[in-house]
Amino acid sequence: MRSESPSLPEAAGQPPPRQGTGVPVEISGIAQIFRRADLETRALERIDLSVKPGEFVAVVGPSGCGKSTLLKIIAGLLEPSSGTVGIAGKRVSGPHTDLGIVFQSPVLLDWRNILDNVLVQIDLRGGNPAAYRDKARTLLAKVGLAEFENRMPRELSGGMRQRTAIVRALIHEPPLLLMDEPFGALDALTREQMRIDLEKLWLERGQTTFFITHGISEAVALADRVIVMTPRPGRIERILEIDLPRPRHKDVITSRRFADYCDEITECFMRHGVIQY
Amino acid sequence: MIIAFIVLFLLWEFAVKLFGIKEYLLPPPSKIWSEFLKRQNTVMASAWTTMTEIIGGYLLAVAVSIPLAMAIAYSRFVENSIYPIIVFLQIIPKIAIAPLFIIWFGFGLFPKLLIVFLLCFFPIVVSSVAGFKSVDPDVMDFARSTGASPARMFFKIRLPQALPEIFTGLKIGAALSATAAVVAEFVASDRGLGYLLQQYNGQLETPMVFAIIVLLSLIGLAIYYLVEFVERLVIPWHVSQRPTEMTGL
Ligand SMILES: Nc1ncnc2c1ncn2[C@@H]1O[C@H](COP(=O)(O)OP(=O)(O)OP(=O)(O)O)[C@@H](O)[C@H]1O
Ligand SMILES: [Mg+2]
Repeated sequence: MRSESPSLPEAAGQPPPRQGTGVPVEISGIAQIFRRADLETRALERIDLSVKPGEFVAVVGPSGCGKSTLLKIIAGLLEPSSGTVGIAGKRVSGPHTDLGIVFQSPVLLDWRNILDNVLVQIDLRGGNPAAYRDKARTLLAKVGLAEFENRMPRELSGGMRQRTAIVRALIHEPPLLLMDEPFGALDALTREQMRIDLEKLWLERGQTTFFITHGISEAVALADRVIVMTPRPGRIERILEIDLPRPRHKDVITSRRFADYCDEITECFMRHGVIQY
Repeated sequence: MIIAFIVLFLLWEFAVKLFGIKEYLLPPPSKIWSEFLKRQNTVMASAWTTMTEIIGGYLLAVAVSIPLAMAIAYSRFVENSIYPIIVFLQIIPKIAIAPLFIIWFGFGLFPKLLIVFLLCFFPIVVSSVAGFKSVDPDVMDFARSTGASPARMFFKIRLPQALPEIFTGLKIGAALSATAAVVAEFVASDRGLGYLLQQYNGQLETPMVFAIIVLLSLIGLAIYYLVEFVERLVIPWHVSQRPTEMTGL
């Protein structure tokens, strides 16, 4: 087991790989307007997207275009102003629970140590946390937190907390994984390792994954499709099919075609004045 | 800390002797101690009475305020109907109602319990309401995404998150409780440290007045630190993250 380079759980040597556990997600006509007194924020405008079971979708877009809002709507944590979301053929109304979420901030519980912060996922679901203890330990070790399982969240760095939150989203092996800039607080090296491990995990388990990021190359490296969003009000500007072989190792990442995909997205942003030279 | 007190007492003793200050104005610590020893049976019996009032009234306040705070925090209806009344009642100086309680409830233990209760009650309710309401929306989002039952949500998320603020109220209440009991005894009583204090004061037995003041302070301090000790046991994760801390004696 690698000790210093943190990495995401593969199958973690635990249960046999479950192929094709992903669920389809149907997003249609989603719009979101926030109203507060006389202030009106149009966060999202007409989002339509159909995510196939087990598909890896990455969303890139400028800050404030409504990515987090969209993720919360998919999870059923926020009721959209209009439009519907369907997960596994069922319309979402109220929080959808058969999923794992990594929020933009770690959202750990101050009063539980790192191990118990992972196990709270099981605890809140009414499962038996003790039965998941070994698995949680293995996963924490995989992300380089083996010696920290008894520490309290405030004793950890921002990146370590975020890794804890990632493990917490995976411990119950959900068929849908929603990740909001999960690697945002990580350094470049850890980030690269986590990306590699997330892909490995996804190849083994096949959970439908919705991955928000600011990193254009990170999106291209991970996704089957990259959704490029416009500045607020957020709309889908482009959908890029990333036709690159998997696993996306170094040779793929450094290939000509990889760079072309990245360029295409960058140009998209330049057209909207998100990137200016 | 202890050394500082010893030095203070020595200076006091020395100054009183040096300047020939009259005993009924400012008795030396040695005199306070010797007088206290002479009457310790009476004093300790009164201390027991007063402590019963303090602890009884305080526990009553805790038992009523926390469930009430939950009701206020989780029910819009209760918040809009009952909370304004509580806030309004709080404005009435509770010590001014004390004589009324004598008329209504007589001289016994009950009116004293009631006054301690009233003084402790409000800070505990206000802090607990704030605690129960101060849920981090992101934490709630996470909890909702697990489909946790209301009971689990309460015991595993809401309550632990509220505890630091609840304890703030519990400590304010604890600090007020001894004062409340003494005031209640001032108003009308035939026992307790407050009663004794007035007796000795009337007879110009200043050393005993000092002895009782010291004893009352010690009782107040003990109750406060008892609550803080419980706090340490219940929410160690929060206590240890407070930047500046009052250390125990
Ligand atoms: N609860 C809310 N009330 C009012 N406005 C909100 C609320 N939540 C989000 N917004 C607004 O909606 C817009 C989109 O917010 P959102 O958090 O979804 O952006 P984002 O794309 O995730 O940005 P970032 O990349 O910086 O995280 C912003 O302009 C924000 O101010
Ligand atoms: Mg966001």
